[in-house]
Amino acid sequence: MIQRTFVPICSFVLIILSITLPVSAQQVRGVTDTEILVGQWGPQTGPAAPWGAVARGTDLFFKIINEEGGIHGRKFKYYLRDDSYQPAKTKAIAKEFVEQIGVFAVVAGVGVATGMTARDYLMENKMPWYGPVTGVYNWIQPFQKYLFALYPLFDDEAYNLTGYLYEKLGYKKIGLFYQNDDYGKQGTIGVERYLKDKEIDLVAKVSAEVTDRDLGTHALKLKKSGAQAVIMLTMPTHAALILSETAKIGFKPQWATSNTLSDSALMMQITKGLWVGMINSFFSELPDSNHPLMVKYREAHKKLAPQERWGLFYYAGIGFAEPFVEGVRRAGRNLTPDSWVKAMETLKDWQGIGVPVTYGPMERQGGKHVFYGKVRPDGSCERLTDWIKITK
Amino acid sequence: MFGQLIVSGLAVGACYALLAIAMVIIYKSSEVLNFAQGEMAMVSTFVAFMLLDAYHVPFPWAAALTFLFAILLGIFFEIVFLRQAKDPTVIGLIIITLGFEMVLMGFAGWKWGPDQRSFPFPISNIEAYNFYGLIISKINFWTILITLVLMFILFLFFRYTKLGIAMRATQQNQLAARVMGIRTKWILSFTWAISSIVGAVAGMLIAALGILDPPMMMDPLLKGFASAVLGGMTSLPGTAVGGAMLGIIENLFGGYVSLAFKSAVAFIIIILMLCIKPSGLLAKHYVKKV
Repeated sequence: MIQRTFVPICSFVLIILSITLPVSAQQVRGVTDTEILVGQWGPQTGPAAPWGAVARGTDLFFKIINEEGGIHGRKFKYYLRDDSYQPAKTKAIAKEFVEQIGVFAVVAGVGVATGMTARDYLMENKMPWYGPVTGVYNWIQPFQKYLFALYPLFDDEAYNLTGYLYEKLGYKKIGLFYQNDDYGKQGTIGVERYLKDKEIDLVAKVSAEVTDRDLGTHALKLKKSGAQAVIMLTMPTHAALILSETAKIGFKPQWATSNTLSDSALMMQITKGLWVGMINSFFSELPDSNHPLMVKYREAHKKLAPQERWGLFYYAGIGFAEPFVEGVRRAGRNLTPDSWVKAMETLKDWQGIGVPVTYGPMERQGGKHVFYGKVRPDGSCERLTDWIKITK
Repeated sequence: MFGQLIVSGLAVGACYALLAIAMVIIYKSSEVLNFAQGEMAMVSTFVAFMLLDAYHVPFPWAAALTFLFAILLGIFFEIVFLRQAKDPTVIGLIIITLGFEMVLMGFAGWKWGPDQRSFPFPISNIEAYNFYGLIISKINFWTILITLVLMFILFLFFRYTKLGIAMRATQQNQLAARVMGIRTKWILSFTWAISSIVGAVAGMLIAALGILDPPMMMDPLLKGFASAVLGGMTSLPGTAVGGAMLGIIENLFGGYVSLAFKSAVAFIIIILMLCIKPSGLLAKHYVKKV
């Protein structure tokens, strides 16, 4: 009788215990003895597809790490998903990462609107997310324990770029051409903030919708303003279109732009050479840099992904994953979301091929620097400055 | 500035008009709104790009081969997809065009990648003519001229050639045309081919004016549709006028009222026209008696 009741009771207790025990006591999601599962979304199709190269660059980086034996005996298993830059798809991918695949962390991920559909869901599930590929405040405000931002803030970058044009280069009449979305708007805040501090006016503030393809009117408005220098905060298509339209009407100011347009090879090609002379901010090493890591990655690129173009968006995918992997290394063999967070908080001015990063217990904005360069006639860039701190 | 806005509006409007004409040619023959028109034009333009860039084919030959490709693409779509539909309704056929649009978009992304490219057009998109202070870029000038010439050729074709008359007959009454000995199925395929060529010309001009990439036709297609609604979905001259008007209205609105709402003008025009004169400016308004 005792035996007949004892066995079912024990089984019942075991089942209840296995359900109610905390996850960490069983197994860490996305971490096995031999593997660490990592996911990233990125637009591989659709209008934002050129930025999808970031996710493929990350793939190369994990291949390099795996070839070197992985981290603490574990190799990375990388899941790349195409969200076509559509927020609804991004949310579905985030759910897949958490509920179906069970990855340990999300790395990078292009887009503000796309990332915002996933942010709260990932945080509720205590999933580490490293380095969303946009420089907006949404990643650091409000504070999220498991979310670490890398990308320099658009606002601060634009503020500093305006100061560089005004103070260092002496342009007093500054215009702005921006795209009407989070990226353009947050950059606009920085430009206006600087000019307000100096008590001067923006001579032109011209915006374009993301879908616009006819920018003739925009060019005329910029020309009419008489701007000596124009800051453009747009995607590559609009940058090429506005340069072509302004060239048609003979308007040739000093152009300057943020790091989102720092793929000079691409920009030179699509602007038919009009990109020459562009002042650009950068958040990672130049494509032909002799930095030892860049040399190493270029070699690996030739070997492991020769079909990919060695462009800035592509190798930025490496730069976005490097600090994440450093965190995994510092967390040691006992890798959990919390041990990774603690390890990340020890990074102080740590640098791979990208911007130096610093985190702390209440500090989640890692990238606070950029440097400036100017595009030469052959499409390469002349480095104008060293790393400049843009976020105080 | 006013003159400049008119001139650049006309150039953009010319491209809208070409796309609108391509849509109207199909609409008149089958009442189908071809949502794949933009992507058909985009794929044809990529073929031209490939011939020019990878195989270094001289531009006239590349253009000719692209038109041949466009003809085949139009006929292929009509025969392989539309003709196979069983007892199709107009809505069903429109959905098929939407599906084809997605197939072409995916194909272009796979074949040519997502990067933007500059289209090697023989006319500079930077140099300009100066007519008494009014600057018109060479590419804008030639875009307007090419569009006018193409429209004239289409007018002559539909008005004076046997094939053109057969197409018009098929458009007006398929059954009567068949009874009169016209091979209407063949004519339908040919309609798609003509539409595809016009789209390819629009695609090459739009790429030359701006950038070549898979999503390049999204905005122009919507504007082309607005032009067709403005001018009249059943009137080729109306469509041309609608395109030019839309280009100019957009530019003037952007220049003097608001750049932020410049793109919305096209859609406001669609709504207004559908409320005030649904048949469009130059098309006759038919009322079906039940």
